Amino acid sequence: MIDWSERKAYWRHTKMQMLTSLLPFLAALIAIPLYADALNHKRVLGIPLGYFLACHGLLLIALVTVAVFVNRQDAIDHWHGAHEDI
Amino acid sequence: MAFTARTRLVNPRLGTYFGIFAAAFVSLVLMALMFEQLGTADAAVRLLMFAGPIVFFVAIGLLSASRQVGDYFVSGRRVPAFFNGLVLAISALGGAGFLALTGSLFSIGFDALCLSLGFAAGFVFMGLLLAPYLRKAGAYTVPTYLGRRLESQTLRIVAAAVLAVPLLLLLAAEARFAAYAAAWLTGQPEGVMALVVVGCAAAAVVAGGMRSLTWSSSAKAIAVLFALAVPATVTAIIMSNLPLPQMTHGNILRVLTRTEGARGLPIFFAPVLAADFPGQGLEPLAKRFIQAFGSVGSLAFTLMTLVTAAGVAASPSLLMRPGTTPGVYETRKSFGWAVLVGGVVLLTLPAVAVFLRALFLDQVIGQPVDRLPSWFQALQQVGIVQVDTSTPTVGFSSVRFQRDAALFALPYAAGFPQVLVYLALAGALAAALAALAAALMATAAILSEDIMRGLQPETAPDGARITTARVCLMGAAFVTAWLTVAAPGDPLKLFLWALNFSASAIFPVLVLSVWWKRINAWGAMAGMLAGLAVTALAILMGETEAWALPGTLAAAVGLPAGTAAALAGSLLTPVPGKSILDGMNEMRVPGGETLYDREVRLQRLKSLAAGRDPQVSS
Repeated sequence: MIDWSERKAYWRHTKMQMLTSLLPFLAALIAIPLYADALNHKRVLGIPLGYFLACHGLLLIALVTVAVFVNRQDAIDHWHGAHEDI
Repeated sequence: MAFTARTRLVNPRLGTYFGIFAAAFVSLVLMALMFEQLGTADAAVRLLMFAGPIVFFVAIGLLSASRQVGDYFVSGRRVPAFFNGLVLAISALGGAGFLALTGSLFSIGFDALCLSLGFAAGFVFMGLLLAPYLRKAGAYTVPTYLGRRLESQTLRIVAAAVLAVPLLLLLAAEARFAAYAAAWLTGQPEGVMALVVVGCAAAAVVAGGMRSLTWSSSAKAIAVLFALAVPATVTAIIMSNLPLPQMTHGNILRVLTRTEGARGLPIFFAPVLAADFPGQGLEPLAKRFIQAFGSVGSLAFTLMTLVTAAGVAASPSLLMRPGTTPGVYETRKSFGWAVLVGGVVLLTLPAVAVFLRALFLDQVIGQPVDRLPSWFQALQQVGIVQVDTSTPTVGFSSVRFQRDAALFALPYAAGFPQVLVYLALAGALAAALAALAAALMATAAILSEDIMRGLQPETAPDGARITTARVCLMGAAFVTAWLTVAAPGDPLKLFLWALNFSASAIFPVLVLSVWWKRINAWGAMAGMLAGLAVTALAILMGETEAWALPGTLAAAVGLPAGTAAALAGSLLTPVPGKSILDGMNEMRVPGGETLYDREVRLQRLKSLAAGRDPQVSS
């Protein structure tokens, strides 16, 4: 069980982790589709780049975001002794 | 109870069970294929493809019957991350994702991506901002969570009333999608099939509640993935000589773009706030596939992505899902699986749309109206497409499509046996049923736990709580059946409205209840009611075209209004007390016993010490 004195540090770490995961994803989510038309004359695997980034790219970014978040947040839990006791 | 090792909680044979189900489902499809080739009557094959999977789903639901409250409302907290993510992804997409999103991608191409990005981002938002903390709090329903954490019974009732709005819209929309797919599959009228599908969805859930929902929806999800993968992969092999439709539709897209230019499909740009999704009826192809912002404006695209994301993240039918895993870590992990499964589906749907568009442009546009390919004539006969025969050749403006039919029009167009058309329909039906059942279960839980059983349901005996929930579920099913027949309008619009309501009335308050310690019951109530009212008003103004913001983007003003009201309402009223802050501090730490379970245990012990054991006395 987590020490009372650790809670503040734990929550600061957790907040920072949430923001570092969420904000870049949010920025990509908003920015990439807006530039799709400008990028469409280049191609990846025959797929226009703007469409490729907005469709395949963002889904990949979402997956990486969640995977990294799960990994990092678990490390934070263990570092502060806040993990579940199993 | 929370200290039991999680490996001992999870059923080790789940993989075997669902392997058996997958094999049985594949054999069912193969059997139907053989029957078709042997010349069995079409009606019999249709019935087999409709009733076969549903018998499986209902049987799994009935076999997971339970008389324990923990099983009935949180599936016993022993659903492993993968299955949780699988069910989460498929029931979030539902009929709207499979039927309407594919059709929108076919009709407006790139612009419909705002919805699919919204779904994926919704899983990210929910996994990062809400789910781990809701799991630690562990309440069975959202109103219970808010009522217990902010210690206000009034808030609990208000939250239940607010959640009813998006839930009813979701129920109506998903039941309509399910009825649509079932009507095409069986050839019966949609009104009759609405009653049948609502009955099937309720039957699959009523016996074991969340437990039945989890396992029958896992089976539905496996059926959905198979039904989507098979036609798309076979078409990809035929058209590009490679499997993996998600990655290999590039060359077809290149040819498609060139053909669209040569056949003279115009390029135009929509106003920044326009959000013209294809409607429910027959609609012409609106724009070139790859061009951005022709039907949905650039600002509307961004807003729609964010609104959908917030709406999915706070969708009341999905918010019970985080509570079913063995622990906080597993809940976080299940969102990784949800993004993976959902992402694969969301990559396959555009490929389906591209294939259908390429076949259509290649074989239909520019042809004389009396010499159209046979698959197109078949689609014309069943009423999926309509051609204006006054011009000698077929042009873009003279063909109209039914939006929701794109998913199962592809097997028609690729010249596959009828069974593959029925397979695609059965997949869409399973997805809509999963979403419908999730919404039914959420409605029943809120009705029974927060409204019917009064203010202290936890001391009631298990049997009585479950009986109430079952009665509420049947009631919700009747209301849904009535709504499906009575609710007019486009189911995609109903679905988007539901997302708008959950994005503005539920999302801000839930996020603040985890991340902001100053929030109190008054603020939460103000936020929910303001979000709901402003969104309702914005939808009304948008639909009557009183202002430029379309009704499907109402949460663009509703979400800020809800947030502002929650902030102002909290700051203007007293600081929350110590026990609220203690609960919030504890909710933020994964370790330790689930809050709700501990509170209920202590309550039971107290009444035991007082000499009346509710479990024994009744």
